[in-house]
Amino acid sequence: MLEGLLVDLVPYGKAFLDLDHRWMNHEASFWSSGGERHFMSQAMIAARHAQWAEERERAGGGAGVGFGVQTKDGKPLGYFGINWLSAHHRVAMLGAKIGEPQYWGGGYGTDALLLLLDYTFDWLDVRKAWLMTTSMNARVMRQMEKAGFRLEVRQRQSALADGVWYDWLAYGLLREEWPGRAALVEQLGLRERAAALESGTK
Amino acid sequence: MIEGTLVDFVPFEDDFAIYLETWMNEEAWFRAHLWERREPHTEHDVKKYIERMEKDEHGALIGFQAKNGDPIGAVIFDHEWPRVRKAEARFFAGDSRYEGSDEVLDALLMLVRYCFETRNLHRLDAVALPFDEAKLDHLRRAGFVHEGTLRQHIRWDGDYVDMEMFGLLDSEWPGYTAKVAGLDLQPSGLEPKPRLEKKDEKKDGAG
Repeated sequence: MLEGLLVDLVPYGKAFLDLDHRWMNHEASFWSSGGERHFMSQAMIAARHAQWAEERERAGGGAGVGFGVQTKDGKPLGYFGINWLSAHHRVAMLGAKIGEPQYWGGGYGTDALLLLLDYTFDWLDVRKAWLMTTSMNARVMRQMEKAGFRLEVRQRQSALADGVWYDWLAYGLLREEWPGRAALVEQLGLRERAAALESGTK
Repeated sequence: MIEGTLVDFVPFEDDFAIYLETWMNEEAWFRAHLWERREPHTEHDVKKYIERMEKDEHGALIGFQAKNGDPIGAVIFDHEWPRVRKAEARFFAGDSRYEGSDEVLDALLMLVRYCFETRNLHRLDAVALPFDEAKLDHLRRAGFVHEGTLRQHIRWDGDYVDMEMFGLLDSEWPGYTAKVAGLDLQPSGLEPKPRLEKKDEKKDGAG
């Protein structure tokens, strides 16, 4: 388990898999997939989980690494992880979804991201972390900038959401640009945010 | 067959497959497949790759040859995403004599024509190494727009190098005929190489 200030990263076990049906058919999926609207039955979700498990087993250490994100009191919020890890290029493509909208914008995703970056650079010895989001996702764009990522590519009109074209954006962070989790926790005021939550003042 | 100005598109039949056994182990192939590990491809690997592409509903491997029938290389569209009508465009000159030639540029233009004018795609992605001058030149002349650089993104010959990312929208494509009219494509005038013999499994088996 990776312990943060607002959230912990834990195995994506049953508590999370049980919520996937709601999260997949939900607004959260629309934002994380660049405009997809899923209609997934319980059976489809189960088949998908079985496929993931099989892929993980087959790929061994070559696959990505998925974590469940939960609050400090254990409420499952979503997924953060490495969707694709290339050992020989030493790059990790990250992916994320907070399935509970009331936790959007509260620093939970940022705390999870810092934990994941720490893990990616310091444990997996990756040289570069990167991820893609769309130009409609201002919240993620702000989060990337706060965490020190640079906007590297803007793929014009490559996402379609509710009939409107958006751009896919690629953000990258090199290991030498990463100041370490502790520095960013201070810079972004996560400790104060956690203290406020604990005292109930939010 | 689809006829172009300097080259024609042909199905990837056996005679092309024989060349691919060499091409898939050469520089041009690896430059068109930057993510892949640079590893040797056996005859079996090549056969499996062709079979995979033949079954792929969201991609295709198409051979291109000079007007005199000389096989030059292949174009590939891959990872077609039907919902947003986009795909990756890749191309390479297996016969290195044609590297940087207008034949290869024509093959790229024909791939764009096929994707926009036949498959009704909205957008094409393409990628090149920053030092691959021939590919960068072809992408720019075809009208692809540079959309950014993935910094130090791949391991390449002892270093971590950038990937130059390009895109082309159907709204930016004037149509193949109009595009060719503005480019003054010139044939290389290369002599066709000697044809490789098709392998006869029965004859090989008889020793």
